[in-house]
Amino acid sequence: MTLLARNAEQLFWQARYIERAASLARIIEIHSSHGRASADDLGWAWLVALYSNERWFAEKYTERTSRNVIQFYVADVDNPASIRFCIKAARENARALRAIIPMDMWTQLNSFHNRLLALGPEDFDVVALARTCGVIKVGCYAQLGVAESTLYRDEGERFFKLGLLIERADQTSRLLDVKFAQLASGRDSGGTIADTTFWALILRSAAAYQAFRRHEPRGADPGKVARFLLANASQPRSFAYCLDNIQTVLEGLRRQYGLRQARGSLELVDTLINGLGTAADDRDLVVRLHDVNDWLQQRLIELTAELSQAFFGLEPKQTEPATPAQTQSQTQTQTQTLS
Amino acid sequence: MALITGSNPVASESDRRLAVNRHGETGEPVAKTLGTLTALKDPRQAGPFDGYDPKPYYCELLGTDRQPGKALVAVWQRLQALDVPTLLRRAADAERELFNLGITFTVYSDKDAIDRILPFDVIPRVITAAEWGVVEAGVIQRVRALNMFLWDIYHERHILKDGTVPAALVLDNRNYRPEMIGFDPPHGTYIHINGTDLVRDGKGVFHVLEDNGRSPSGVSYVVENRHMMQRAFPDLMQGLRVRPVSDYGERLLGKLIDVAPAGVAQPSVVLLSPGVYNSAYFEHIFLAREMGVPLVEGRDLVVEHDHVFMRTVAGLAPVDVIYRRINDDFLDPEAFNPDSKLGVAGLMRASKAGHVTLANAVGTGVADDKAVYAYVPRIIEYYLNEKPILPNVETYICGEPEGLAFTLKNVETLVVKPVGESGGYGIVVGPKATRAELDAVRAEITANPANFISQPMVALSVCPTLTPNGVVPRHVDLRPYAVTGKDTWVLPGGLTRVALKEGSIIVNSSQGGGTKDTWVLEDGTIEECGT
Repeated sequence: MTLLARNAEQLFWQARYIERAASLARIIEIHSSHGRASADDLGWAWLVALYSNERWFAEKYTERTSRNVIQFYVADVDNPASIRFCIKAARENARALRAIIPMDMWTQLNSFHNRLLALGPEDFDVVALARTCGVIKVGCYAQLGVAESTLYRDEGERFFKLGLLIERADQTSRLLDVKFAQLASGRDSGGTIADTTFWALILRSAAAYQAFRRHEPRGADPGKVARFLLANASQPRSFAYCLDNIQTVLEGLRRQYGLRQARGSLELVDTLINGLGTAADDRDLVVRLHDVNDWLQQRLIELTAELSQAFFGLEPKQTEPATPAQTQSQTQTQTQTLS
Repeated sequence: MALITGSNPVASESDRRLAVNRHGETGEPVAKTLGTLTALKDPRQAGPFDGYDPKPYYCELLGTDRQPGKALVAVWQRLQALDVPTLLRRAADAERELFNLGITFTVYSDKDAIDRILPFDVIPRVITAAEWGVVEAGVIQRVRALNMFLWDIYHERHILKDGTVPAALVLDNRNYRPEMIGFDPPHGTYIHINGTDLVRDGKGVFHVLEDNGRSPSGVSYVVENRHMMQRAFPDLMQGLRVRPVSDYGERLLGKLIDVAPAGVAQPSVVLLSPGVYNSAYFEHIFLAREMGVPLVEGRDLVVEHDHVFMRTVAGLAPVDVIYRRINDDFLDPEAFNPDSKLGVAGLMRASKAGHVTLANAVGTGVADDKAVYAYVPRIIEYYLNEKPILPNVETYICGEPEGLAFTLKNVETLVVKPVGESGGYGIVVGPKATRAELDAVRAEITANPANFISQPMVALSVCPTLTPNGVVPRHVDLRPYAVTGKDTWVLPGGLTRVALKEGSIIVNSSQGGGTKDTWVLEDGTIEECGT
């Protein structure tokens, strides 16, 4: 079956946006149910550092109060980093894919999007925030669940999966950087880096708390948590698990569908797997964690650029801009100028 | 612990109802003999049709004698057994569902994209097998004649040379495309997808109001309206033999494969859309989905050595047939509007080289022009030597002296239409216009007579339509869709558009129109459901 390059790109980004919205919603849900932020203080300021959105944020707000940061990451539909934007963008991609994806995928996403449109300021208030983000998270899960149970397993589904896995790997890496971001923004949530409460929060944000407890019944320390989320092969949100699956998907595209252009991406995945292995073996992983995360995130950006070039009809030499959200709009402009 | 087997012994009320329904024993009583409306209805119960009075118009359900014909009595009875609040509640459910399913068109403002549903009326428009037989034959005849006319005017021009149709009307028409002269489309088919707008007069006779041979839209609503009715009113349709519409995509694909360039074993068909910002984008999605073909935009296609390719993940893949939903002007910046960003450079070259088939062909706009329309009955007789099965509405051509004089003299009783427009724009309805509007249109006609035609007011038929105040008569038209490859197939029914405003005869969705499900009954429907 023919798969348009544009449709492959749209499947890739539809999944990425859903996964991104789910991760963001879960982080905010967990931190607001366990955290101590009030509307006026700077308890959420670290989110801006975590996602490297300092410039965009400064264009809209002067102070990183909790109210502003939450508005920015949840409600602002014109901010490419917000949950609302992600869902809208996922839906826009899905809309162009309606002739391809199962009706149930579209209908779920469209209804979900309509429900989000109906949310008002009271839903983003400190009091309602955890509940709102919980609803959003479940809406995203539902979309991924419908995809899992209905999406036809062809090249298109492989690109959907690639988007999902790359975004998930990126989000997990960022999550491990929360402490760094908090320290960098001068607003530590309290405690030291060895604080077990903090690491429990991180595990919950990755929906990995129960699995970690069973895996490491004798307790959490930063090194164990970092290795669990980076290198555990059975944890579905670990970086290693994502890489392993990305590799399988790319191999499938190359062998089963004869798409030899997958080679470049496979080489990048090899680099990532090697780098990750070295990092996991490093006794000083915790000390170097921020640099490791930075390196991993950079390679993922390169992987996206390589995929765009090999499959989505992007010109070479296209360098990755600040966020993947921007990449997409640039990609679309780029493709337009080709025709 | 007892093992749970079998069913719950206490069947709920709804279980029981389901069980009975399955045996066909519930539902409304169906009269075995036909009597008057009073005899048909349950005197103890108020029905939604109690105050319904279509006079003086022809009613699609009750005809002229205000009583359903034999074939329609079952439908009438079922509707009558519902009450207005129930109808309204189910209608609201249906609209919400259309919205969540995304069966919408999108209105773009500066900042927002607002999804709107096309207003949908839940009372179906029903056409009997006998009535449909006439419509179907008439549409096939008309499409055949128009395709022969197009072949002729782009080849030998017999019909122009012998003066049956004025040459200037065709050759000076802005929709006549000299690029098409001498080009032979496969099977001589120019108009592959056609929509014929029909209206019914006071006696119930169907007339052709307009031909749409360029890129007629609306067929997606025909199929989706049916799905919606099946979900919202399964009881209304149960046991009735309504002809299906859901195979439109397969039929269309079959016809498009018919016209693929010769020698292509497995033609690759695509649907070319202007993109997500087009208000009809939902329909493009629908058609691509139902045909199972890629939905492409101009940027997905490229022409190399007069062959068309699409950009896929595996590189360039050949394209043999393009169902294009982009107007001629924007189709190919190389051949037509050079500023078009929607089209594909070189498409006309590839088409003329016979390497790709465009559906509809370029240059069909001259055949569905409002001025050429007046000549279609003559065109039918000219090529087919047959009388038109579906008559035109009487038409005065202002470009001709008699037509102009008549129009200017009687403008207050006529409907005046500019010939270049579509979508109901620029139409002046004489009997409903103000004195100032009449003066203005008289001046416009005098200044540029060739730009106008006029027609007498047709007393458009009405169909029972649900409003918050109950069931009321509203004017409707009908657009059957014909698809042509080697030969023509007509989708049973078509799009019924309804003017939701009281007294309005303008049914276009852009001007307050809605749609209805259109049921074509099979022969023997009444016997089937009466037992």
